[in-house]
Amino acid sequence: MKLEGSHQLEATRERVYQSLVSPEVLQRCIPGCEKLERTGENTFAATIKTGVGSIKGVFNGTARLEDLREPEHLRIVVEGKGAPGFLKGSGDLDLQQEGNLTKVNYTADVQVGGTIASVGQRMIQGTAKMMAAQFFTCLGAEAKTEVGEPPPQHGFFRTALRWFSGWIRKIFSHR
Amino acid sequence: MTDNYVGKRVKRTEDPRLIKGLAHYVDDISLPGTLHVAFLRSIYAHAKINSIDVEAARSAPGVVAVYTGHDVATQIGPVPCAGALPDLKVPDHRVLATNKVYFVGHPIAVVVARDRYVARDAVDQIMVDYEELPVVTDVEQAAAGGPVIHEAFGDNIAYRLTSGEGDIDAAFAAADRTIKQRVLHKRLAPIAMEPRGVLARYFPGEQELTLWSSTQIPHLMRTQVALMIGIPENKLRVITPEVGGGFGSKLNVYAEEALLAWISMQLGKPVKWIETRRENIQATIHGRGQVGDVEIAFKNDGTLTGLRYSVFADLGAYHQLLTPAIPTLTGLMLSGAYKIPAIQMNITACFTNKMATDAYRGAGRPEATYIVERALDLVAAELNMDAAEVRRKNFPAPSEFPFHTATGLDYDSGDYEAALNKAQEIAGYAELREKQRKAREEGRLIGIGVSTYVEICALGPSQAMPAGGWESATVRIEPTGKVTVLTGASPHGQGQETSFAQIAADELGVDLNDVTVIHGDTGIVQYGIGTFGSRATAVGGTAVFVAIQKLKEKAHKIATHLLEADASRVSFEGGKFSLQKGAAAGAAAGGTSDPVVPVGEAPAGALPEPQTEGKSSLTLQDIALAAHVAKNLPPDTEPGLSATYFFEPKNFTFPFGTHIAVVEIDRETGDINFLRYVAVDDCGRVINPMLVDGQVHGGIVQSIGQAMYEEVVYDEQGQLLSGTLMDYAVPRASHVPEFELDRTETPSPVNPLGVKGVGEAGTIGSTPAIVGAIVDALSPFGVRHLDMPVKPENVWRIINGH
Amino acid sequence: MIPTQFDYRAPATLDEAVALLASDLDGAKVLAGGHSLIPAMKLRLAQPQLLVDIARIKSLAYIREEGDQILIGATTTHYQLESSDLLKNICPLLPDCAQSIGDVQVRNKGTIGGSIAHSDPAGDWPAAVLALDADLVLIGTNGERVVKAENFFVDLLTTDLQPGEILREIRIKKPVGRFGQAYQKVPHPASGFAVVGVAVNLNLNDDGSCKSVAIGVTGVGVKAFRATAVEAALAGTSLDDNALANAVTHVCDDVDPNADLYASSDYRCHLAQVHTRRGIQAAKARVQ
Repeated sequence: MKLEGSHQLEATRERVYQSLVSPEVLQRCIPGCEKLERTGENTFAATIKTGVGSIKGVFNGTARLEDLREPEHLRIVVEGKGAPGFLKGSGDLDLQQEGNLTKVNYTADVQVGGTIASVGQRMIQGTAKMMAAQFFTCLGAEAKTEVGEPPPQHGFFRTALRWFSGWIRKIFSHR
Repeated sequence: MTDNYVGKRVKRTEDPRLIKGLAHYVDDISLPGTLHVAFLRSIYAHAKINSIDVEAARSAPGVVAVYTGHDVATQIGPVPCAGALPDLKVPDHRVLATNKVYFVGHPIAVVVARDRYVARDAVDQIMVDYEELPVVTDVEQAAAGGPVIHEAFGDNIAYRLTSGEGDIDAAFAAADRTIKQRVLHKRLAPIAMEPRGVLARYFPGEQELTLWSSTQIPHLMRTQVALMIGIPENKLRVITPEVGGGFGSKLNVYAEEALLAWISMQLGKPVKWIETRRENIQATIHGRGQVGDVEIAFKNDGTLTGLRYSVFADLGAYHQLLTPAIPTLTGLMLSGAYKIPAIQMNITACFTNKMATDAYRGAGRPEATYIVERALDLVAAELNMDAAEVRRKNFPAPSEFPFHTATGLDYDSGDYEAALNKAQEIAGYAELREKQRKAREEGRLIGIGVSTYVEICALGPSQAMPAGGWESATVRIEPTGKVTVLTGASPHGQGQETSFAQIAADELGVDLNDVTVIHGDTGIVQYGIGTFGSRATAVGGTAVFVAIQKLKEKAHKIATHLLEADASRVSFEGGKFSLQKGAAAGAAAGGTSDPVVPVGEAPAGALPEPQTEGKSSLTLQDIALAAHVAKNLPPDTEPGLSATYFFEPKNFTFPFGTHIAVVEIDRETGDINFLRYVAVDDCGRVINPMLVDGQVHGGIVQSIGQAMYEEVVYDEQGQLLSGTLMDYAVPRASHVPEFELDRTETPSPVNPLGVKGVGEAGTIGSTPAIVGAIVDALSPFGVRHLDMPVKPENVWRIINGH
Repeated sequence: MIPTQFDYRAPATLDEAVALLASDLDGAKVLAGGHSLIPAMKLRLAQPQLLVDIARIKSLAYIREEGDQILIGATTTHYQLESSDLLKNICPLLPDCAQSIGDVQVRNKGTIGGSIAHSDPAGDWPAAVLALDADLVLIGTNGERVVKAENFFVDLLTTDLQPGEILREIRIKKPVGRFGQAYQKVPHPASGFAVVGVAVNLNLNDDGSCKSVAIGVTGVGVKAFRATAVEAALAGTSLDDNALANAVTHVCDDVDPNADLYASSDYRCHLAQVHTRRGIQAAKARVQ
């Protein structure tokens, strides 16, 4: 399944990039991420308890950052497995500075397998977009804070999602 | 012989228990101490298994045992394949995966626990270290190279086969025109209402094993499972309880059957497995799965000169019982109802990372009929000829039968024009075409599809079958005159408990309710082949019929003896052996024909003495009692009244017919609506018209499914996307039109009943009529062919040029 | 098809139900008709620890006319709504929508509250309550609050229900004046869910022109939505063929149409247009 989208974050490219490669930020922003640890120079192991509605599952997985060209481009390769199924994918993120905003364009290729693939095929795209929106909303909030400042509060994100979900939809392009 | 039952719409004797919920399916059978089984199945389409950790599962409370592939590899033989083809590659497929998995749903481990809930929970505790391998799902890619699934074979080609007669190159060279068309047959899931289920009970003391399974072939399965697990065949009893539909998907020997049997032997306890619907769609065989090109060569007047079909057959990752044989059945029927001097079929049968394909209602013949009928429609469109007329032009005349086809068959009998004429008459064909013409002027999209099919069934002569094509029957008349029929056929919805009883009741002049038909128990019924290929009545019914003739012969001999008359003077009529007038030697005139023992007055204990002296007629019941009490039998006559017959048919039978479908398309949405559906089917002599109608209904509904709704969808990674009935669309009653059914009756010369078989005819004859109608409706847009399932979106795109 | 282990409680009152939910905000789940939740549990996609069954709280199922409002209890079944003579009279969109859901067995168990709280992207009730501008009454440990339908459906399977809250009532303003209603649905041939579902609640001026129209659309996006651009384009028009044809082209303006095994996003959007038009025509024909 191909996913693509675009997000405008109120932060500099450098700040956004730094957030994207920071395990602490990733742990706070990946929806449902309970644990994210560095296992190598650009590799991480994660435990994610996530889902949508009453559909929830725990996934264990790995992420690897590749093709790092600060502050304009990076590639993330992920693999996760849980009772509901597994997913594998890679995403290319390109960051463009536009004034004091950063535009993040992403294209991702995701494979889903197991129960969620055979049963929930019609909802996979919507779920992926929703989680991408949550992630980037959070990332935007994180990137807005200066290095050394305390990170934003958890409760912020639900509200932010509601505010942003409306116009974020408009920015997403078709597959 | 009476004629009280055969030919009449007798209500099924099976139905009361089914409707009242009193029938016993596998899951209804409860044995004390039964353990329950759940499977861990692969979530990857192709992967190495580096390790399996079952410790957590094994030690979970309530779990009795956990087995993996390595535990059973040396204990249970491979899952059998009976398709014998030259140079066929047969993978060694075991009941549980050992080193690798090659389709989603491939069973890896099995948990045995005190109840099904514990078993299922424990499955989630099993950890498998998979190493993914590249996946090949497209059959053409598998043929061209692609990742090799079974390394020992070097490639993914299971076999190649060319068949057919006549000089195909000359036929194409001599043709005025040729058309080539790519045709797809997507995979279908049989979706029997009842998924599979197995209950195994081993008696360690007697060393006997009873296996209940929802199967179509109890005896064949018994032989195979006995060989697989190393138990003597005569220590294994297979019972089919009520079976909730098979459609060919249970004409098989599955890993789960052998595994459950083996587990029960290991543990000395009953073990049960009931398939979930998801498992059913993943790991019960799929039907169809062909991708090919048909080339048709013809003259400018519509006469066919040759047909070539080159096809890639998607066998799946391994072979089930008849997997490789199914495409060859397509080859047999490529002549359809037509004279085609030269035919060639080229099969490239390939392995792919999906579940195995095998027989599904029609088993190769729907593919053949669809290809031939689409080809005829293409010819008609090309020459601007009427679809029915181009067909009529190429029919063999009744005088040309037996008709030898360029596929190597001899069609025994047929009058294709009669069926076509009748169908056209019922449909009002000429008026329909006129209505269509007017509708087109108004911009409405009405289409008419015609299918004139022949199919091959009543499988069949043993020469042509992998494990015997005969069928057996034992008919007994018990001392009290009740009739017991033991049939080797294995009905699972077809209604032979009723139709065989009809045959027996008429032949023996008894009441229908005095006949009991027993099937599906290898401990009771003599060896039989089973029910598939529309064979139960044609082959199994004939065995019953002939066994009864043997019985009647013996009964006649006994009657003659008891009536002290000349054999030629004793006739059998209305259930009675009577002396013809003027042959009263030794008998008083005016003997009664009352029953020997009035009902309800039988003395307790011993059988009464037959009161046969001084009678001028004797009932069958009198004879039966006399045969068992045996005080006065003719010399050299065995006591008892039982006969067995194994009927070996000399040929297949060839039912035929014409289906006409009329559809209208909603221009705005592409929705396809049926206006009419007419079917005239010739299945030879009809024992019970209601059963035949039911079969035709069901077959047409499954055709509607294939034509418009059903498709097993795997993605490129071999993930099964149409994994539940939320996505896999089986037709509902609201999707189905009113059927206008009729028959012609051309008795088959192959069996004394004249019966051909009808279980699959509907599925075979109908899809081309439906697709033909949709194509016809869209012909103003230049459409000549569409692939199934034809969905409203496909139609909308054509109409709106998207 | 066997769920993971769970506890089950059937409280007698709504307050008990709220307390039970509060006792395990993460693991407790409300059970009403169960026809969305239990399949998810059987597939092990949902693994609640505690099911709080509110279907047995009789006082939660009702259909009442009160002043200028229609009050519907959350556990009212689809069947009860389908067969309500009161509603057939005063708000036929509700029975019209109800009778299109699933099949007889589903309608005997499934509830309007459950359907709304679950917010399946192809569920029927969300479209209807959006078209009726319903108020949804939620109750939790902090008391009650009322959320307008247009603010309730947030995202895929996500509503404004906070952990521990239960939807207890749906309030609809009784349609007045010259109103006509219709529910158009393209059922998925396998699931019966809405490939596209359009709920139309139309009000005409005395001269027959469109006073206002509310159009709720489901099946097309990640959640049901109001086709506000279409509504705006129709207001004041005579609802003639031209007006309709132009207006319905806007039905997918603010949504990214779903694609699945059955229908692509283009086709889905096209169906939404066709059935919006047909729904408005049907509603117009039913105006008294």
